[in-house]
Amino acid sequence: MRWCGLLLLLLAGCAAPDQRPEIVVQRFFGECGVIHGGSTDVAAADTECGILTTLFNRFEAENPDIRLKVNVVAWPGYPQLAAQIAAGDPPDLVTMHQSVISDYQDRGLLEPMDGVLVEAGVDAATFTPAARAGVVKYGRVYAMPWDTIGRLFHINTRLMAQAGLMRDGKPVLPRSPDELLAQARQFKAATGKPYLVQAHVNAPDFHVALLYTYLLAQGDTIFPDARHVRLDTPAARQVVALFRQLHAEGLTTRNQDFPAATARFVQGGGGIFPVGTWMIGPYDAEAARPGSALYRSYAIAPFPRLWGQDAAFVDGHAWVMPRAARSRSERAAIARFLGFLARYNADWSRTGQLPAFQPVLETDSFRALPHRGDIVAIASTGTQLPEHVRRQSAIQGLIGEELEAAVTGIKPIDRALADAERRVNRLYAELP
Amino acid sequence: MSATSPRAGLSGPVLALLLVGAAVMLTPMVWTLLLSVKSNAALLGDSGAALSPPYTLDNYRAILADRLTSRWLLNSLIVSLGTTAGVLVLSSLAGFAFARLEFPFRRSLFLFVLLGLAIPEQAVILPRHQLFATLGLHNSYPGLILPGLTGSFGVFFMTQYFRAIPRDLDEAALLDGASRLRLFWSVLLPLTIPAQATLGVFTFLASWNDYWWPLISATTSDYYTLTVGLASAQMNYAQTSGLGFLMAQAVFASVPILIVYIVFQKQIVRAMAGTAVR
Repeated sequence: MRWCGLLLLLLAGCAAPDQRPEIVVQRFFGECGVIHGGSTDVAAADTECGILTTLFNRFEAENPDIRLKVNVVAWPGYPQLAAQIAAGDPPDLVTMHQSVISDYQDRGLLEPMDGVLVEAGVDAATFTPAARAGVVKYGRVYAMPWDTIGRLFHINTRLMAQAGLMRDGKPVLPRSPDELLAQARQFKAATGKPYLVQAHVNAPDFHVALLYTYLLAQGDTIFPDARHVRLDTPAARQVVALFRQLHAEGLTTRNQDFPAATARFVQGGGGIFPVGTWMIGPYDAEAARPGSALYRSYAIAPFPRLWGQDAAFVDGHAWVMPRAARSRSERAAIARFLGFLARYNADWSRTGQLPAFQPVLETDSFRALPHRGDIVAIASTGTQLPEHVRRQSAIQGLIGEELEAAVTGIKPIDRALADAERRVNRLYAELP
Repeated sequence: MSATSPRAGLSGPVLALLLVGAAVMLTPMVWTLLLSVKSNAALLGDSGAALSPPYTLDNYRAILADRLTSRWLLNSLIVSLGTTAGVLVLSSLAGFAFARLEFPFRRSLFLFVLLGLAIPEQAVILPRHQLFATLGLHNSYPGLILPGLTGSFGVFFMTQYFRAIPRDLDEAALLDGASRLRLFWSVLLPLTIPAQATLGVFTFLASWNDYWWPLISATTSDYYTLTVGLASAQMNYAQTSGLGFLMAQAVFASVPILIVYIVFQKQIVRAMAGTAVR
């Protein structure tokens, strides 16, 4: 018996090593192996985590000649990526926000992906304009776009109707700052509730998205070059003054972080929640649940035009390839994986994010998804940050802090905007 | 209650103040526990739903059903216990040497060790990361354990404790023919058990709760510790639609810490009261 055991051990030791090419894919969106661990039915999957997990399962099932190793990282995963790059051991593909790509591309840490995308059968000409702007830097494609994230007005139509702000089954949205204030006052008088639900605490991105959107609408250049931001402008003062007035008059919720604002909207605690595409799914589920404050009372719309022209500041998720030495077979495996993902981009759009590929955007199945017809234009008109903008996360934090202080009345608007500009420019001055 | 009981000295208002303080401290914990036994859907619209039934253990089932969670739990145990054992061994030896042995540059070396107390981890994390990368130690247990062994606090703590033990004991043991090693192992070390317990508990807790180093050293999920793993498992932006699951994760990660507190509460209270080094 002992000899048999020894023989088995020897045989195990003699087993041929796994010759398959390995690709290491690193992503955020969480871990949900419990729910979707064994599933390969992509069409049946839901949530960002669920759809990605199922996609990866399916790829493994369909491509047994490739070893797929998946790292799930804590959102957003950039500290880990930086550490991996510093250690000389980066993953092969990584989820990255399109607004962050410049930061890594600028330092030569990402591989241009034009070649691998061609090998994958992914035609960069099929990217939507918004997605293309997010991944093309200085004429080269540095990522395969996965979606476009836009900010929207999520609307409680029951409360809007109560306030007399519905026409032909559609919400009546303002077309100027004065109209916004008038409608907000009308809404509050009729419902006793704030017109806007907003996250004012620890949510710098909310203020920044609003400010960027309405500066773009007025044709302001926010980032004139790679080392400067321009925020201390009449246009910016107008935008912040409007939101400060809404806050001062109690026409918006106050002192809430993002989860609290989310809950407030679900409870029917306000008329409009200006938040991202990613909340369409959860709110739609609420709209279908009898007893919910949103039951059959939910609509979405792009940010209304208050100044200048229609505009939407957008971002998106993308798959980037950190620079590293890779064999021919590994590159081929990466290409096959990217091609596989691209074919399932339509499934990803069930999450609420807009697809990154124009053909998907034009399919009947996409248009048949709830509310998508109302926001599809964002994939074309959405504006990304210019390609020379670096350290987006850090500067968003700085600008957001100052905006929070200005909107809530802690700081004079002029000073807050001047401080935001000064702090960002100082950060840029320290960059190599 | 005897007349000498500590509680006997508390006046009514002080007791009331303490009770209010305890309630303030306990409320977030009870709140977390209640949220953890509610369904995520129920909490999406109203976190106040935690105050009323129905309650469910689904969030805990989801955590336990994930094969990676047990792996992360094991990793945390290996890293925390490994770090604790290493710190106790090294700090005891170094403490004994600094307190009892004469060797060249002893004072300078001790001063050098003390300097470590003034340097925050963030200041050394980049060179340490590079060093570990060069040595190929990332994504390994040694990579997670070794940085925890270099803390100055343990050495300082044990040195002070050894110094507080009367030197008469050394002289008696040496007169009886004991070697330095015997003196350390059989005479002095048993007297440091209270300090070892305190240092051990603190080291274990610090290692268990550590997030930053495991986050950047363990970059494959097989080597995540529980803190990093649970953070990576969060499924959506700000965990808006998974509040119950998030709270269950928090409770789950706290259980081992709670056990350590219950088992070693005497040592912890003594350490907090500053009586361990007497």
